[in-house]
Amino acid sequence: MKELLRELCLINGVSGDEKAVREVIINKIKDVCNDYRIDNLGNLICFIKGRKSGKKLMICAHMDEVGFIVKYINGDGTLSFGAVGGIDPSVVIGRQVKVGKINGIIGSTAVHNLSKEQREKAPSMDSLYIDIGAENKADAEKYVKLGDCAYFESEFAELGERRIKSKAIDDRAGCAMMIKLMHEELEYDTYFVFNVQEEIGLRGSTVSAFSVNPDFAIVLESTTASDIDGVSGARKVCQLGKGAVVGFMDRSTVYDKGLYNLAFDISEKNNIPCQTKTMVAGGNDSGAIHISRGGVRTIAVSVPCRYLHSPSSVIEMNDLESCYKLVKLMAERIPEL
Amino acid sequence: MDIKETVIRLSELKGTSGNELSAAQEIHGIFSKYCDRYEIIGTDNYVEYFGEHDENKKLLVLDAHIDEVGMIVTYITDEGFVKVSNLGGIDRRLLPAQPVIIHGKKDIKGVICSVPPHLTSGGTEVLAWDDVSIDTGMTKDELEKYISLGDSVTYDVKCRELIGNRLTGASLDDRCGIASILLALDKLKGKKLKYNVAVVLATQEELGERGAKICAYAVNPDIAIAVDVSFAHAIGEDERKCGKLGKGAMIGISPSLSREISENLKYTAEKNNIPYQIEVMEGLTSTNADRYSVSRNGVKTCTVSIPLRNMHTPVEVIDLKDIELTAELLADFIKED
Repeated sequence: MKELLRELCLINGVSGDEKAVREVIINKIKDVCNDYRIDNLGNLICFIKGRKSGKKLMICAHMDEVGFIVKYINGDGTLSFGAVGGIDPSVVIGRQVKVGKINGIIGSTAVHNLSKEQREKAPSMDSLYIDIGAENKADAEKYVKLGDCAYFESEFAELGERRIKSKAIDDRAGCAMMIKLMHEELEYDTYFVFNVQEEIGLRGSTVSAFSVNPDFAIVLESTTASDIDGVSGARKVCQLGKGAVVGFMDRSTVYDKGLYNLAFDISEKNNIPCQTKTMVAGGNDSGAIHISRGGVRTIAVSVPCRYLHSPSSVIEMNDLESCYKLVKLMAERIPEL
Repeated sequence: MDIKETVIRLSELKGTSGNELSAAQEIHGIFSKYCDRYEIIGTDNYVEYFGEHDENKKLLVLDAHIDEVGMIVTYITDEGFVKVSNLGGIDRRLLPAQPVIIHGKKDIKGVICSVPPHLTSGGTEVLAWDDVSIDTGMTKDELEKYISLGDSVTYDVKCRELIGNRLTGASLDDRCGIASILLALDKLKGKKLKYNVAVVLATQEELGERGAKICAYAVNPDIAIAVDVSFAHAIGEDERKCGKLGKGAMIGISPSLSREISENLKYTAEKNNIPYQIEVMEGLTSTNADRYSVSRNGVKTCTVSIPLRNMHTPVEVIDLKDIELTAELLADFIKED
């Protein structure tokens, strides 16, 4: 799964610009689907027949990642941009980016020229710009158009023997699990949906949940772990190496209690490491799905991820495997509930 | 010589202040193509003597510093987080989620911990050095096999091409000074020279020009030119205090520098139609020039600076044209008319 994740993470696909990700995914899944289609927003909706038909189960993940969109070309050839999705300016300043195929950087005033107060204050997103090396506006316009997307440039690297670091783990990790699961023999008929535009407000899943109209949904995600130095107890939220994360509640959803209990029941009986979240934080496509039409019984299974929405997100591969095993078993049980 | 290739190669060498040995040896290897005599002064300062020396000529030093800003390992926590302090002026605002390399018995990749938004109050705080930790994905036991307190840490970033003649990378301060001296020597091969020329490759500039202090004493030149970088204008910088990228070397004028050398450099540039810029400073220059000028009985000293954006960050930006123009200026200054 590591190689699959590497391939997916290195594709650039900011919200609204997911085509490159979708095309790679289609290539990988088209031979195992009984049917697949792309809807009006760009969601990829796939159907695979299982050994049995039960209630309608939808498993989904989102293809988009956080990034930037060019909003203005300044006189000196630098690019002003907006952040697509929730990004902290402190993980934006001092990074390499790609604007389409062009290399760029997001610079900052030299530390020597900052006042004492400025040195202690994170920059505002509005004060940042992309420098592609252009000498002036006309020079930049040869390479960049307004509305072009920009992406973090980040190596997919192994940290120690168990962890990996990359951009876009949120939510190519979910996409990777889905692709792998789609290649297994399935117990029940299942819809697999690769959503667009999660990062700008669960837009893709709003329409795909409507069109698929499932009875149950499992959302595969990456969720904030802050088990870092100096953080203790509940404030860690969840921890790397402690398995799949199944929360009872986040900022978007109070999860279905039956499915929540089923997840921990399966994890216990099958020795699959599983943890819950110790803070009500974050949100995901569940927020749109569980209140679609007349309501959908929904659960999210997430890989714990440090430095989410940064170019250097970190996960432990064992946790991804735990998520995968858990979801596979849940998919065999849920349609008979 | 291919100047772009040389700058990229030099930029990707790792050598923080006090840890210059491997970079110094590599750079010495490049200089040995031009200089057949060298000395090592103190710890890892290299002096490369160029051409035949004639006792009737004055000794001119071209100085550039080898070291780059970085961090140093101070502690490993029980959970395996690596604590660090700074080597030189580091902008702490851009540390969160920054990929780094710890240079231990082998290079260990890591990411600087970033506190997620749910644990910050509005996200405007900047990490104090005490709160900066590196996540390597390894346990304390695993880490202790490879790293020790005192090991150095650098940004994990590749030097990349922007459009036009511009490059981005870490440690362009002052590897592009070294590159321009190499290019100047390349231009001077086989030429008659006004001076005996020595190149000083100094250590620990970023900690207060310590290598240059002992080199200035040991080499005892008549004239010294510190070839370093200075601020290039960008958004957020004061236009009145900066040079411009692509407009040539910045010749220093300051009460602490030799006005005679400044004027001679200007005269050389004008006579040879070499574009240049003037950098006026009101006291010290914060370059190795400050050490030469007051060494022994005093040395006629000047600065020649390459304009650079985002100084001391992993996304420094330079224009290769400036390196070329700096080399032309130095070569014409040294060449017999």
